[in-house]
Amino acid sequence: MQVSDEQRVYARWLDWTARIGVAVLAGAFLVYAFGFVEPQIALERLPGLWSLPLERYLELTGAPTGWQWLHFLDKGEYLCLIGVGLLGLATLVCYLRIGILLLRQRERLQAAIVALQILVLLAAAANLFTAGH
Amino acid sequence: MKSVSIRAAVLVFGLWLAAPAEAATAEAGDVAWWLWPLGLFAFSFLLGIVAVVAGVGGGVLFVPLVGGFFPFHIDFVRGAGLLLALSGALSATPALLRNGLASLRLAMPLALVGSITSIGGALIGFALPTNVVQTALGLTILAIAALMWIAGRSDHPQVPAQDPLGAAFRMHGIYHDPAAGRDVEWRVHRTPAGLVAFAGIGVLAGMFGLGAGWANIPVLNLLMGAPLKLSVGTSAFLLTVIDTSAAWIYIHRGAVLPMLVAPTIVGVMLGAKIGARLLRIAPARVVRRVVLTLLLVAGVRAVLKGLGIWN
Repeated sequence: MQVSDEQRVYARWLDWTARIGVAVLAGAFLVYAFGFVEPQIALERLPGLWSLPLERYLELTGAPTGWQWLHFLDKGEYLCLIGVGLLGLATLVCYLRIGILLLRQRERLQAAIVALQILVLLAAAANLFTAGH
Repeated sequence: MKSVSIRAAVLVFGLWLAAPAEAATAEAGDVAWWLWPLGLFAFSFLLGIVAVVAGVGGGVLFVPLVGGFFPFHIDFVRGAGLLLALSGALSATPALLRNGLASLRLAMPLALVGSITSIGGALIGFALPTNVVQTALGLTILAIAALMWIAGRSDHPQVPAQDPLGAAFRMHGIYHDPAAGRDVEWRVHRTPAGLVAFAGIGVLAGMFGLGAGWANIPVLNLLMGAPLKLSVGTSAFLLTVIDTSAAWIYIHRGAVLPMLVAPTIVGVMLGAKIGARLLRIAPARVVRRVVLTLLLVAGVRAVLKGLGIWN
């Protein structure tokens, strides 16, 4: 069986980053759902809001978009977004790690693919595609 | 242990039946807010069991069923569905990579194309009116059901010669098949067609939040000629990349509601653990037929909802 070095390294890093993301999400959700941290939107209001189209929901709640939620980390629902964000960053972190490895191994084509993927993920995470909407 | 798992599954199934049914009979304002997340957790738990036994990703069932039968708007359901598919794939992929049942070199070029188009798909999904998205989702689900019904699978497809692009990307290798007890040499062909197919898969994954295992596996296995087990494993890896790109669009747009996402992810992950235990004894063919029936019901429901015939 052939498993390349970069595949082994990728597996190890993904395992840890994904575990941390899920653990943080689950922990933050318990804090949010059991009311240990005050939410921005009262939980009792949610059934009247989650059936609305996104635009209307944002209008009524003033919920943040882009990275603005980082300013609301004292609110329960945005605490949960740390876990979601970590899940979103897991792949990026792993690509960065194997990119270094592939460059050291002089695997130029594979390194170029990894570099392009990193750019796409970075652009998506940085909100380049939705900013201004 | 098995009986405890089955009792837990029955209990959760009862909760699922009870919670939305009770809630649906009352006005929205009369319903305790926690009934819906609890019902969603129970539904996701069951979905996790069924998805593992039937060999499908959870997203393809989650989005149309929750979008059709729960009160959440499809914008939020798509966001939750995408994160559900992402978290499931993130959990499964490390072991698959370590065991050689997923190939990084096979996946990376395809993932790059799919991730770019998934961003486009997510943006299109937010730009279209809700009824159009709902109708298109229903038609897509019906097409997926048809694909699952007619598409064959080939354990070890014949690949007479590797194409130059596949060779340049070094899309070949050896993996160990534990069932056969031997190492299997593999390579792929029709790489340009595979890249085009993954461009289309990315659009659908991003637009509807479906994950894309239902399409990844046939493209890798039947079109490109990768062995079935390697296709299944590599599909999980592809989901982690393609869904991550689209997930950021949903996060930045504000379409990720923790009250939907967290019960969904935790429910599916727990259900998947029980599904893995039941895998050996569950009648997979029967479960697969149930899944196909659910897809048909969910697809028809989404089309009717989109057309305003059954709201």
